[in-house]
Amino acid sequence: MKRPAWFAARALTHLLIIRPALKLIFGVNIRGRENLDGLDRFIIVSNHNSHLDTLLLFAMLPAKQIARTHPVAAKDYFSKSRVLFALVQFLFRPVWVDREGEAGQALPEIQSLLDAGENIILFPEGTRGEPGELAPFRKGIGKIAAANPQIPVLPVFLEGPERALPRKAPFPLPMWNHVTLAPPQRLRGRAEDITRSLQATLESLESVTKASRSSRPELRGPIRVTALLGIDGSGKSTLSRMLTEEYSKNDSACLISDELVLYEAGLPRDFQPLMIEKLRRWVSTQAKQASSLARYKVPKLAELLLRDRLLAEAQRWYRPRRIFMDGMPLLNLTAWSVLYKEDAFNEETVAKVLRLLSGESELSRKDPIFEQFSELGALRKLHLDRMALPDAVIFSDVPAAVCVERIASRGEARQVHETEEKLARLREGYLLLCRVLERDFDMPVLVLDGNRPLETVFAEAKAFEVKGENEPADY
Amino acid sequence: MLDPSPTILSIVLFGAAMLVLFLDRLRSQDSLPPSLRYLGALFGLLALADWFSFSIAIWIMAFFAFLALREYFSLLDLRLEDRWAILGAYLAIPFMVYFIFIDWYGLFIISIPVYVFLVIPFLAALGGGEGKGIVYSIGALDFGLFLFVYCMGHLGYLAFFSVRITLLLVMAVALCDLLCRFLPLRHPLPRFLVGAALVGSGAWALSSWTGIPRVHSLVLGLIIPFMVQAGHFTLRAIESDLGVRPDALEPGRGLVLDSLKAYLFSAPIVFHYLRWFMAWGDIPR
Repeated sequence: MKRPAWFAARALTHLLIIRPALKLIFGVNIRGRENLDGLDRFIIVSNHNSHLDTLLLFAMLPAKQIARTHPVAAKDYFSKSRVLFALVQFLFRPVWVDREGEAGQALPEIQSLLDAGENIILFPEGTRGEPGELAPFRKGIGKIAAANPQIPVLPVFLEGPERALPRKAPFPLPMWNHVTLAPPQRLRGRAEDITRSLQATLESLESVTKASRSSRPELRGPIRVTALLGIDGSGKSTLSRMLTEEYSKNDSACLISDELVLYEAGLPRDFQPLMIEKLRRWVSTQAKQASSLARYKVPKLAELLLRDRLLAEAQRWYRPRRIFMDGMPLLNLTAWSVLYKEDAFNEETVAKVLRLLSGESELSRKDPIFEQFSELGALRKLHLDRMALPDAVIFSDVPAAVCVERIASRGEARQVHETEEKLARLREGYLLLCRVLERDFDMPVLVLDGNRPLETVFAEAKAFEVKGENEPADY
Repeated sequence: MLDPSPTILSIVLFGAAMLVLFLDRLRSQDSLPPSLRYLGALFGLLALADWFSFSIAIWIMAFFAFLALREYFSLLDLRLEDRWAILGAYLAIPFMVYFIFIDWYGLFIISIPVYVFLVIPFLAALGGGEGKGIVYSIGALDFGLFLFVYCMGHLGYLAFFSVRITLLLVMAVALCDLLCRFLPLRHPLPRFLVGAALVGSGAWALSSWTGIPRVHSLVLGLIIPFMVQAGHFTLRAIESDLGVRPDALEPGRGLVLDSLKAYLFSAPIVFHYLRWFMAWGDIPR
């Protein structure tokens, strides 16, 4: 077929002016150009974000195809200026569509071009739309592809023009453009199915090729900390792990237990370890091997203080939406004093100690409480009186006798305090603590009867958590 | 002023480097060491500056800065409101290079840190958007200008004062990179020590040719390998935050940044060190 002279002029303008200019100013990176090899006829389907899109698609075409390819362009937009209209007509010889006219008006013209052996570029989104977002496809592409099953469809994803020349931008800016070609597809079947499958192809290209740009830190709401309390063997560890797994199905969650674990989509995930966590685990093993309560006390205290630091570090570095604490350092510390100073342990003292150690109140150095608990003075001197309070507390209440049985059945070496008598006192301490937290600190507290099947306990804890989640937090 | 020695030397060195790499290619399929990717272009630029016109060479250097800046901006998460600031950042390149072109050292050295660093935040604020995320944008834009335009400009100005010294710098950086490639040195300290030994002795041997006093040649032998290691280390962190994968570099996805990183870090330090001791620019002798 003899081509008129302007065919050569058109191809040369693209090859000698537009292509080098695009490369020099914007930068063009074409991936999968081999998918065009040996293709004589094709329909290009691409996402549409910018006026650069058509130019970029022409920049990837082999020279002999340039004059034979026609995009579909909006007549109502380009006919605003006569010069622009003439320019577009010269460069692309587009199929003009009036977007205000009825749908499908351009189909006969497109079909006649395809029958004549020409190629078509289609933007099935119909319009440039929101930058960087793939809009639902119009039906036309499915009809055209279904009517021409012998012509391969070439899905192309453009990334970059939505930043180089977005809609409403006053001027273009030099930014790299990445053109990704998928393998050509020969589609058969119903028009709607073809449209849907092409949209799925472009979406998968989008997810693969989109740049992982350095992004701004996301602004997130406050982190909710839930503390799970209970004496040893009350099942609080299992319960906290189950709660974390459940919660992490929807959002990121972190469990601070014997070890620190980050959960995502219900499963633990890899993360950059923290130094303080390693230290804490070493101290923790020291406490577990202690032979007497006195030897147990110092490593356990250190472990609790480190656990408190760990909570702060996890909040700072990982920023999960939720943190579940298997034991809360401040609360454990307070409850544990029942083992050492049972006579001085009452509601008033507990409230006072909590306020003091969480940094809520400043007591004078002469306050009698420092006489009573000499450790408090030491903690204060060491500036360790800024410990965290949780946002909610769940106490798994199990009789001491049951706990001792459970511990025995685990078959592990028994820690020094794990006798029925001591655990019973500890349980009383925790119950008193819960009363104080609920009354004086307005904290949501759930006292669970833990001596029931795990599923029942878990369901109750979950319901409590969901309820607390929906309450407006007081920050 | 025709001085054929830099051109001859660069042709010989480039040929040698390519030969070594070609022989190595036959052995393994690894990619080129980063700073050698633009070695030919830099050598060509220096030869151009020496034989024909420094002005043309410096504007080509400006184009290199543009390429690096464009790639950096393409990898950033910038807002639609930052478009005026980005335009200003691109225009800062000819603004700065013009002062190299007319050899006005005093204004060159303050062009970016004083004027551009004040104009960019102003333009970013003009962009509107109620200022949300503006601190990130200003920081990212200003940092890119500093590293890819200002530091690159120092390489250009160094070539203005002495093509031979610039050639020495380019050679030293490329040498340090080649060493990392061929010696199994994982740790930065032995890399630095080997680089220092080679660059120091090389600069010492060439000191009558470059015109750098012998003592300072030795100090440069310490400075350049150190800055090359520091550049690699720093840009590695920046690249990983920008989402650049060193195993899959693509045009527009880190190729330029990766290639220029070692030069960007060493050029300003070498420039100011030599400027002080050799009394260039407006320092009275």
